[in-house]
Amino acid sequence: MKIPWSPLWGLYAREMIRTFRNPFVLLITIVQPFMWLAFFGSSFSLLPAPELQSLFGASNYIQFLLPGVLSTSMLSVGMFGSMSTIQDKRFGFMKRILITPTSKGVVFITKALGSASRGLVQFPVMIAAALAFGVSFHLSVLQWAAWIAGLMLLAIGFCSLFLAITARSTDWQTPGVVSNFITMPLMFASSALFGSSHFPAWMSAISSVNPITFSALLGRSFMLGTPTDWSYLGYLAIFAGLMLSIGYFVSSRWLRVE
Amino acid sequence: MTDNTIVVKDLSKHYGSGDRLVRALDHVTLSIPSGTVFGLLGPNGAGKTTLIKVLTGITDITEGDASVAGFDVRTQSMDVRARIGWVAAEVILDDDFTARENLWLQAKLQSLKDWETRADDLLKFFSLSDRADDKVSHFSTGMRKKLEIALALLHQPVVIFMDEPTIGLDVSTRRMLWDIVTGVHKEFGVTVLLTTHYIEEADALCDRIAIIDQGRILAEGTPSELKSRVKADIVQLETGEALDPAKISALPGVQEVRAQGNDWMIRVGTADDFLPRLFATIRTDQIRRISVEKPSLETVFLEVTGRRLGQEEPMRDVRKFYAQMRRARG
Repeated sequence: MKIPWSPLWGLYAREMIRTFRNPFVLLITIVQPFMWLAFFGSSFSLLPAPELQSLFGASNYIQFLLPGVLSTSMLSVGMFGSMSTIQDKRFGFMKRILITPTSKGVVFITKALGSASRGLVQFPVMIAAALAFGVSFHLSVLQWAAWIAGLMLLAIGFCSLFLAITARSTDWQTPGVVSNFITMPLMFASSALFGSSHFPAWMSAISSVNPITFSALLGRSFMLGTPTDWSYLGYLAIFAGLMLSIGYFVSSRWLRVE
Repeated sequence: MTDNTIVVKDLSKHYGSGDRLVRALDHVTLSIPSGTVFGLLGPNGAGKTTLIKVLTGITDITEGDASVAGFDVRTQSMDVRARIGWVAAEVILDDDFTARENLWLQAKLQSLKDWETRADDLLKFFSLSDRADDKVSHFSTGMRKKLEIALALLHQPVVIFMDEPTIGLDVSTRRMLWDIVTGVHKEFGVTVLLTTHYIEEADALCDRIAIIDQGRILAEGTPSELKSRVKADIVQLETGEALDPAKISALPGVQEVRAQGNDWMIRVGTADDFLPRLFATIRTDQIRRISVEKPSLETVFLEVTGRRLGQEEPMRDVRKFYAQMRRARG
């Protein structure tokens, strides 16, 4: 099968250009996880260092929290991706695209990759913010690359999931409703904010298959200098591949044009 | 390629099922010769846009066959899409992009390699060269419409579908667009399928016209062929009190009488002969209003559908409505 590079590049570039030309969306994308870091990250700031060390394995809670916040924020980029798709449907742009020799599958892939890339804009900003909160980084180039790759895979997975669920929708409210429905359980039933060692058994079970956990633990091992379980990266790749395949199939068959 | 760029055979498109079945297209058969401007004339909800959606592969065919530029719409959809351009009722551009970036994106979607020269030529043709690097959100409606037509022409299509391109435009912009459509047709030799519910637009622009209503093609031909179908004048009459239809029908020269309450449509051989007979039959104080129409596309429409083009249901297409509202706000 011939890969349609030209429309893939055109639509992906459109997603990126639109992001960087929309300062409000860019600001919200950056500010949202920053606020998590500032407000939630400061909630244990008065706890003595030994207790922090015993609870989180770090003397600074933000050092523990940062990989988790970055992982959970990849959930919201999926919502933005499906909102952008609904906007294209409602303003007729989807029809303009699909009256050219561009398939629905190509539209889906560029939306998923575009939204995931947009989510990664948060990464350097959050690193800078963490530095400002006194967090230090001692990562190798390979660890930086693996952390970013893990987040990218997580974002692709969630964007694909959102796009598949909202493929037939033209209602602005649907992505928000879906986001509200899945964000809370996925965020709290993971190791993003706290370690799972004190979870009840049922939450531990969810956490152990939750891709947010894999991404958070991967980043945390780099941040805290603990041994890295590289299989997390493999699980994230499987999650991204599976969601991408499901999303491609669903969109190719059921993506509404208007 | 055949002599007919678009061939539609016994095509139907249904939405829903059972009691809610809507026959948007009902056994439509059409042949559109290459290089013509072909008009689909009909009221809102007649099936014009549905036919374009089917021919562009946006929606599936329920039954029947259709081909565009020699390719089967059902089985060779991608080949069809590589050879068609589309101009929407509402202007659809990426407002975050400049005019040149919109052309760049269109080139990418069409997988065009050498598009810059063609894009420059089109910008020049549509007098947009000076604004090529401006964001299209700052463009006037007329400029946006020109750019949209330029996008449709970028990949040198065989056919351009124009779906009610002048809906909601003011009179001067509409006239400008008519000139553009005529100019594009002459300059680029492209076949144009244009839908409209403006009779004067169909008359001014189209080489051939099909009248469509309730999903069916009711008449088709050149404007003069269609007008020659009506070998009669139409007398429109509004009376202050009820009249006996048999009395009117019995008058010499009357071909047909249709009445709705006190509104009458009387088809006669020639109005000059009929009117003196009418005035001799009824009292003049019974007449509230009377008018005579000579054969025109309006009377053709009236004849084939039994109603005027303006007497239609409220607009069903919400997006078109909003497009009109946006333009009205300027």
